[in-house]
Amino acid sequence: MVQVNNTPIVLRVKFFKKGSLQYISHLDLVRTMMKIIVRADLPLWYTEGFNPKPKLTFAAPLSTGTESECEFMDIRLTEKMDTDEALRRLNRNMTDNMQATEAYYPDNKFTSLAYLSYDVRIHTEGDAAELCERCKKTLSGEDITVVKKTKSGMADVNIKPLIKSFEVYTEGGDIALSLVLSADPSAFLNPELVIRALRERCGILSSGNLISEYYTIIRKEAFFADMTVFR
Amino acid sequence: MQNKNISSVLKSVEKPGRYTGGEYNSVIKDKKKVKCRFAFAFPDTYEIGMSNLGVRILYDVLNREDDIWCERVYAPWLDMAEKMREYSIPLSAHESGDSVKDFDLVGFSLQYEMCYTTALAMLKLADIPIYSKDRSESDPIILAGGPCVYNAEPVADFFDLINVGEGEEVLVEISRLYINMKENGSYSRDAFLRAAASIEGVYIPSLYEVSYNEDGTIKEYRPKYSDIPKKIRKRIIADLDKAPYPEKLVMPYIETVHDRIVLEVYRGCIRGCRFCQAGMVYRPIREKSPETLCKYAKCLYENTGYEEISLISLSISDYSELPRLTDGLLSWTDDAHVSLSLPSLRLDSFSEELMKKVSSVRQGGLTFAPEAGTQRLRDVINKNVTEEDLRRSMDIALRGGKNNVKLYFMNGLPTETLEDIEGIADTAKKVIECYFAIPKPERPKGGISVTISVSCFIPKPFTPFQWEKQDSFEMLEEKQKHLRECITDRRIRYTYHDAKVSRIEAVLARGDRRLAPAIALAVQEGAMFDAWDECFDYDRWIRVFEKCGIDPDFYTTRGFGLDEVLPWDIIDCGVTKQYLLRERKLAYEGKTTPSCAENCNGCGANKLGGKNKWCK
Ligand code: SF4
Repeated sequence: MVQVNNTPIVLRVKFFKKGSLQYISHLDLVRTMMKIIVRADLPLWYTEGFNPKPKLTFAAPLSTGTESECEFMDIRLTEKMDTDEALRRLNRNMTDNMQATEAYYPDNKFTSLAYLSYDVRIHTEGDAAELCERCKKTLSGEDITVVKKTKSGMADVNIKPLIKSFEVYTEGGDIALSLVLSADPSAFLNPELVIRALRERCGILSSGNLISEYYTIIRKEAFFADMTVFR
Repeated sequence: MQNKNISSVLKSVEKPGRYTGGEYNSVIKDKKKVKCRFAFAFPDTYEIGMSNLGVRILYDVLNREDDIWCERVYAPWLDMAEKMREYSIPLSAHESGDSVKDFDLVGFSLQYEMCYTTALAMLKLADIPIYSKDRSESDPIILAGGPCVYNAEPVADFFDLINVGEGEEVLVEISRLYINMKENGSYSRDAFLRAAASIEGVYIPSLYEVSYNEDGTIKEYRPKYSDIPKKIRKRIIADLDKAPYPEKLVMPYIETVHDRIVLEVYRGCIRGCRFCQAGMVYRPIREKSPETLCKYAKCLYENTGYEEISLISLSISDYSELPRLTDGLLSWTDDAHVSLSLPSLRLDSFSEELMKKVSSVRQGGLTFAPEAGTQRLRDVINKNVTEEDLRRSMDIALRGGKNNVKLYFMNGLPTETLEDIEGIADTAKKVIECYFAIPKPERPKGGISVTISVSCFIPKPFTPFQWEKQDSFEMLEEKQKHLRECITDRRIRYTYHDAKVSRIEAVLARGDRRLAPAIALAVQEGAMFDAWDECFDYDRWIRVFEKCGIDPDFYTTRGFGLDEVLPWDIIDCGVTKQYLLRERKLAYEGKTTPSCAENCNGCGANKLGGKNKWCK
């Protein structure tokens, strides 16, 4: 295929990734998507050079063990195509646990994504109501410092300023959290860190039994800095 | 995938994507509508099992049958296996998440001897008794197949049924028999196994009694009933071009060892290297047509999105239609950004044209297998490549810009002397000389590097060397040391196999039924993933052999008598003993045998039938 148009057109795809797919790392997701877009037979734009490849970019990589209802990726095409057709072809090539929900030609970059919201459920052996109160108190405090791995080793980080908002309540005997966290690449807060902070301070998930105590995280929505829904 | 909520367990192990299933192209069927649940078990990690061609083919073949549902099972890595024991999570199949114990048939693919312990560990994790005799009516039938079963005797007591040879037809026949007997009410384990024994290519170990002589050698194999075959003839697919081949592949989410399309170009080998088991047991040679291969390639590309197609067979440059095949593929692959790769190249048929067509050659380094360091020893093993071939190929490769060459050799071959060892170092030096013989402007920049990788010879069943002694590991280690001393050039990198592993591998490859208790004990003591260096424990093997009264030397350094009953004499792989003896004699005379393409040497494999152009 001779590439005529050298300026790629960006197609943005919003998709969900749940169930068993939460255990797929970001790197593996990228590899998987590469195959999907090839199978979907989209008019892919290839990088130039010795080893041409399609180019994919993802917003806010998801960590392993987290489900998501709002993932975004930008695909580069050589020409515009009907977005519904793109959606159909992509979904035919994905499994039930991962499906595209929207495809459109965006007018912004992923850098304008500012916040992500998450729903967390914690199944615990202890008294959920009491633990819930403790979590609420901890999250309301001014200082929630955790040890975090950074490029230059371990560092103490106060995650409180990165928590935009939170709700804590009990539901069906579980502790439920709704979190809105910073998604700014320079101050990205992984919900796993919030759970770790609560585990260290509030006595949740303390039994060490991986079957009777567990938690789930679902990424729900993405927002601009003014808290309007990211698109 | 599982009944229990094991999400936290999955979060606590390495690469949880190994265990979750749900891959694109995996086959899901309605449990209520299928009559036979078949679990295809691969006794190694997901990443290795997913790449196995045999599993891909048989998964497809079985699932073509509406009333059979074949699912995949892999060995959980040590961290997961430990969690499974701790939380009583039974081994389950990837598609349904159902316990392996609840399947009708469970088939293990035995690709290398060092996976035996992993297979037994998997049975334990599935809560299925490891010995065939201890299984009850409610346990599944446990099958084995794959290259190791040309001598399955060391593990014969653990399997109910062994499939000798190619499985495409047999596995369906076995499943059909199972379904029929279940439906007409005649099923019991014993009745089923007895009936299965009359399917060609099926070996039921429990239907034979083995007796031994006083010196420990085998006296005889005796079938327990008169209608049980005295020898089991391996099955082959007669017309490979028409045989089913998967048009879809289960797409792993995580990276596996071979993330690519694999085209099986032909089965068998025309060469007849005297140490090579595959070259003997896969006979007769049967090729696929370039048209068929091109059709599958296109289809697989559309259904997978893989960007690499690998052409495989024992020696790809021997394929009689190679130019038509590569031209057919290259007519569309370049445009689709798909590359071709060849895993095996022969020194004598390596050409500039081939190098240009194949991107694995274009991009990566080059790999050749002279196997022995002197012409004398290459003649003994019938590796028909000459020094001239080496020089010519190196010249092409180096001029083509390749300055990273890897050479494979073997230590411990019959008749090997120190001179042959020195020859290995010399061969590497010659490659460097070839480099400097090319005028400076024409040779690749950045100098030259040569890697020599040396494995230890194991006298494998069904080869002309099957009676040979294996060098003791002390001797092998000494040879390895000598070679190291011969290598003075820093541009030569030297790697070699652990001689201790090769010793255990030889015992398991050449052993008989008396090994079973030792293998079971090794598993009891924690053996699993012996094929992985970090898991292999030589001392544990020696300990269990001692406890079970087994002398490893009996199977290794002793060598087998020419008139001795061999453990694998129960199997008929096509190639006859007379032929192997004839080849052995020629080896000692230093005489080579021409390839099947030049002249049929009457190996006996022709009696198996099969469409091909060489067998007389
Ligand atoms: S029968 Fe002849 S041509 Fe056929 S595999 Fe044997 S030696 Fe080769």
